[in-house]
Amino acid sequence: MVGIRTVGAALAVATALVASGCGGASAGGQSGAPGASASGALSKDVGGALKTSGFNPSDEVGKSRADYAAGKLGGVKVTMDTANFDPQKFAAQAAAGQAPDLIQVDRHVVATFAAKGLIVPLDQCYALWGVTPDQQYYPSAIKDVSYNGGVYGVPQFFQASALLGNKRVMQKAGVTAADLDTSKPDGVLAAAKKMYAESGGNPSVLGFDPDVPGSANIWFTVFGGHLYNDDGSPDLANAKNLDALNWLKALMDAQGGYAKVKSFKDTMDVFGDGNQYVKDQVGVQTWAQWYPNVLAGTASKVSLEAIPIKDLTGKNVAMAEGTAFAIPKAAKNPSAACAWAITVTSTHAWLAAGQARAQTVEKNKSIATGLMTGSPVADQAIRDKYVAKTDNADFAQVIDTYYSVLADNRPWGSSPVAQQATQELTNAVTVAMTGEKSTQQALADAQAAAQRAWDQVKK
Amino acid sequence: MAVTAAPTAAAGTSAEPPATRVGRPAGRRRSVAARREALAGYAFILPWVAGFLIFTVVSMSWSAVLSFTNYDLSTNTAEPVGFENYRLLAEDPKVLMSLGNTFFYALLAVPLEIAVALALASLLNGVRRGAGFFRTVFYLPKMTPTVATASIFLLLLNGNTGAINSFLSWFGIQGPQWLVDPPWVKPSIVIMSLWGVAGSMVILLAALQNVPRELYEAASVDGASKLRQFFSITVPMISSTLFFLVIVNTIAALQVFDQAYLLFFRDNNGNNPDAALFFGVYLYQAAFQQFNFGLAAAMAWLLFVIILVITGIQLKLGDRLVYYEGSRQ
Repeated sequence: MVGIRTVGAALAVATALVASGCGGASAGGQSGAPGASASGALSKDVGGALKTSGFNPSDEVGKSRADYAAGKLGGVKVTMDTANFDPQKFAAQAAAGQAPDLIQVDRHVVATFAAKGLIVPLDQCYALWGVTPDQQYYPSAIKDVSYNGGVYGVPQFFQASALLGNKRVMQKAGVTAADLDTSKPDGVLAAAKKMYAESGGNPSVLGFDPDVPGSANIWFTVFGGHLYNDDGSPDLANAKNLDALNWLKALMDAQGGYAKVKSFKDTMDVFGDGNQYVKDQVGVQTWAQWYPNVLAGTASKVSLEAIPIKDLTGKNVAMAEGTAFAIPKAAKNPSAACAWAITVTSTHAWLAAGQARAQTVEKNKSIATGLMTGSPVADQAIRDKYVAKTDNADFAQVIDTYYSVLADNRPWGSSPVAQQATQELTNAVTVAMTGEKSTQQALADAQAAAQRAWDQVKK
Repeated sequence: MAVTAAPTAAAGTSAEPPATRVGRPAGRRRSVAARREALAGYAFILPWVAGFLIFTVVSMSWSAVLSFTNYDLSTNTAEPVGFENYRLLAEDPKVLMSLGNTFFYALLAVPLEIAVALALASLLNGVRRGAGFFRTVFYLPKMTPTVATASIFLLLLNGNTGAINSFLSWFGIQGPQWLVDPPWVKPSIVIMSLWGVAGSMVILLAALQNVPRELYEAASVDGASKLRQFFSITVPMISSTLFFLVIVNTIAALQVFDQAYLLFFRDNNGNNPDAALFFGVYLYQAAFQQFNFGLAAAMAWLLFVIILVITGIQLKLGDRLVYYEGSRQ
């Protein structure tokens, strides 16, 4: 009885193996080889059943794209598992030879899946449909889904981050956009101190929120650092990253300390009518492009100004995480999977999404803040056709800024140990910010742990 | 009945006492009935036994095989690697750290959970009017999904404005940053686990209600205080239940996963400090983030053996400390 739960998660896969009767009765034996089908030549002549996992057409953007793909690929019967991609379920399905044909996953796990041989490279898929990845999609997004020279994913969404200032708080503190030029970190620190206020020992107005640990990688890039070397090996403890982490710690310490900042942020009504910009609880925050769309619901109560994030040389930094479609090695209908992924991320599909979004905006009498698709071609087409210039000057400036930085897109980074490295980094940032370890020690420990993971992968 | 016994007696060679001989036909009937009853019993437990064999024994056996292989999910093959996975576990400092976190949690959570459950059960045991209502209300938290509980505790444990720190401030105590400061992470998970204490509470309530009233009456006549009655009557009389809960809760605590995963490891945007990295979470990451199933299976077996040893020690110690009604101990 004890063992039923004890062996826990690993048993899920073991059970799937046993139940499916595969997995090889003898260790080392080749079994049913469920993955052979995806390795063969792809065809544009598609049909049959297509099982997807992770894609959810619940909003107008997803639905219109799925509808467009359905119209274009009439012979394909699509069945969608609309729940978020679940690696546990995927592992059990793969072991049982019942993997979906197409999965939607976070871009940062693509290299891990590729290194494990769970998904196939899509170079043939792109070539078949005449798509040049670096032209149809942002080169940074393509880099994030590349591994060992191959492209393993079809990216969607590139919602870059920028600084979103609260003009009321900025003006009250005498801070201007020029003071928030991140190429001059000391100036930003001074501006943060000016805007910060506290009550009863706790923050009441956050001056500058760099969104750590989630956006730590952006600030590493600002300081010239990175997470991974070109071969994907982790490089968390480089000198530039350390400079960035020291600055981030100084920034947090100047605003009551990381713990208090985090707890303060946890109380904010981020998606509500009483959000932190309405309540003037923040001076500046780091937000991806989707957040102005949330704030559009309270447009009359907020006063915004977006400021590009710049690296120390003064160049804009546009970084974004996002998702991608990938084809499992065990897919039974890879041709349809390829066709569907390419079609649903095509410019025409995105234009259908842009139109649907515009209709929703009109119906809600809201503001069209843009749709950052992951494709520069589609982004421009949607902006030209569906993102009307708003009368709200603040939002017009915000929208312009988010679009303007996209040309300077930078990769988040691709590594087969991205999940472990990100987790180690998150832990390092937390323990450094709370003072449990020095910044140098925290990064060194994170690097050592990530390196161990890398060594295992490379065995 | 005696007639039927005659042929046997006539044989004259049997050394069996007459009573046995005369009882044999009845015994035979009883034996047939007993066999039928046993068969019916086996038939009833067969589904469970089949489930146990297929989904536990076979799966565990396969998991044991996996732990000595490098299982490749993409090809569905398992290359034998001997004790390599166990060697990797021994070399990985995070294994020791996550085990340390898990033991720390178990040492803190198990006694606290039982103490709180016993306190609540004692309160409920004293209630006469509306007992059913109060029992239902006290059990409701157990019905709350862990995800919902985690969301509530994110607010309750907020270091700046959370209800727990606000309560502490009434006594002039400045509460810690529960969910952010690494040293307070495990205690915060323990507090969250107390939310689900109602399961133990119900078991203890049943045990308390089985303690004979006359023992308390006799003790009262002898002038024993309530505290003395509690430690000299209640605790010994429910010691077998307490022992059961210690074992079951220890096993559950050593497998802690949900609370830590939901609060700290759902995504990489929040905190996921090493302080919350329990062995179960680390096992999950090995299996379903790194897809190292051989390593994950080895981790599962390591935990299984640890739990087995701890349970064995508890059983050995428990025999000396526990009072079983109806036994000589």
